[in-house]
Amino acid sequence: MRIDVYLPLLLSLLLAALSPVVGRRVAPALAARVLAVSAVFTAAATVWSLFLLAITLVNQAPPVVARAHNDGRRLPEPVPEAIALAAVLALVLVAVRVHRTARAERVTRRTLRTLCAGHPPDTELVVAESPVPQAFTIPAGGGAPGRILVTSAMLRALEPAERRVLLAHERAHLAHRHAFLSAAVALAVAADPLLTPVRTTVTFLVERWADEHAADAVGDRSATARALARAALTTGAPGPSCALNFTDRAVTRRIAALQAGPPPHLWPLAATTLALGALPALGVLDATGDLLSMLEYVPV
Amino acid sequence: MAGRGPQGKAERRSAGELESEVLAALWATEQPLTPAEIQAEIDGGLAYNTVHTILKRLYDKGLVLRDVDGRRGAYRPAKNAAQLTAEAMHEALDRGPDPIAALQQFVSGLSPEEEQVLRDLLGGRRFAGGGGA
Repeated sequence: MRIDVYLPLLLSLLLAALSPVVGRRVAPALAARVLAVSAVFTAAATVWSLFLLAITLVNQAPPVVARAHNDGRRLPEPVPEAIALAAVLALVLVAVRVHRTARAERVTRRTLRTLCAGHPPDTELVVAESPVPQAFTIPAGGGAPGRILVTSAMLRALEPAERRVLLAHERAHLAHRHAFLSAAVALAVAADPLLTPVRTTVTFLVERWADEHAADAVGDRSATARALARAALTTGAPGPSCALNFTDRAVTRRIAALQAGPPPHLWPLAATTLALGALPALGVLDATGDLLSMLEYVPV
Repeated sequence: MAGRGPQGKAERRSAGELESEVLAALWATEQPLTPAEIQAEIDGGLAYNTVHTILKRLYDKGLVLRDVDGRRGAYRPAKNAAQLTAEAMHEALDRGPDPIAALQQFVSGLSPEEEQVLRDLLGGRRFAGGGGA
């Protein structure tokens, strides 16, 4: 195995470092898609390269070595046994993390769907009569269409134009299947923890994407900014449930972005990111060639 | 498509979207609303007949009720399903971080400095009831 088997690990770090830049510079809809696709590719390539490293343990098995020797051929460059064992360990860890993430996603979807009980199936808006201001989407699934859940406290806090912004924002999440995109990135990060910063960026970008969509639908960027400000102030006010306040300046950054005008697409930066996502795949393809030539000598 | 007035915007919204907006308007206030009041409340100039049709549809689905004790022709939201949903939601939120993690919430919390910035943004520019300038 040559150096290219380690390429996905290196490129995971690079993608993680690049993702905030892409998030700041490129239009959110494009940036979110590009980062998500790159993350999934990179994670898949990383797992595959771990697998390649792990399987070199077979390489060191005496029957394989003997057979290759008889043929008078050289086996692919060996991988130190310690690295191969570490790869096996990492693979087990990856399997556990991916399984956990997938289960959490399933539980969330199921829980969300139960919230629609008692509401007619062909209504988009599901109101919860609660004093806690909340708004989120319930993605389509299990034969049910996507829904928007908003609490009565949130609806009361907003002005009419701001309510339209809220609905348009949540509609954008549903229309562009943001839940699917986020789940894909979550699984990629579970498989390749080096990509964690990509997930943070995509989470932010998906909100920005929905903000831009809402600003478009309502035709008023400043009303959209005000809706975000009012909703954030309502949510941030001391209330019965403050457990949800994980903040990374997200709302103020989103508002600033709305006030700054629509962001440019910057295709070159987006294309670079995609290429970066594709590169590890090429690297492991090459390494896979080594694996195949090695497997020729495994006695069947 | 481009350069549409508020009228055009309302026309382009689907029936489902308009239902959501009428329902949201009814939930946003304590008092029952008449179709004319809802028409004024909803941004973007809906025809009175359209509001009436949407209210009828919401009524048929059991999502709104006619206000029998109060003014004639006024509507208020039906609360049963909304209360059940709130109970289920709080139960899910209390259960721990996992189910919440994947929720795409409209906004998350604020630091005190951020709160001040946002208050300044909204300060003195509270929207008039009818919206649209």
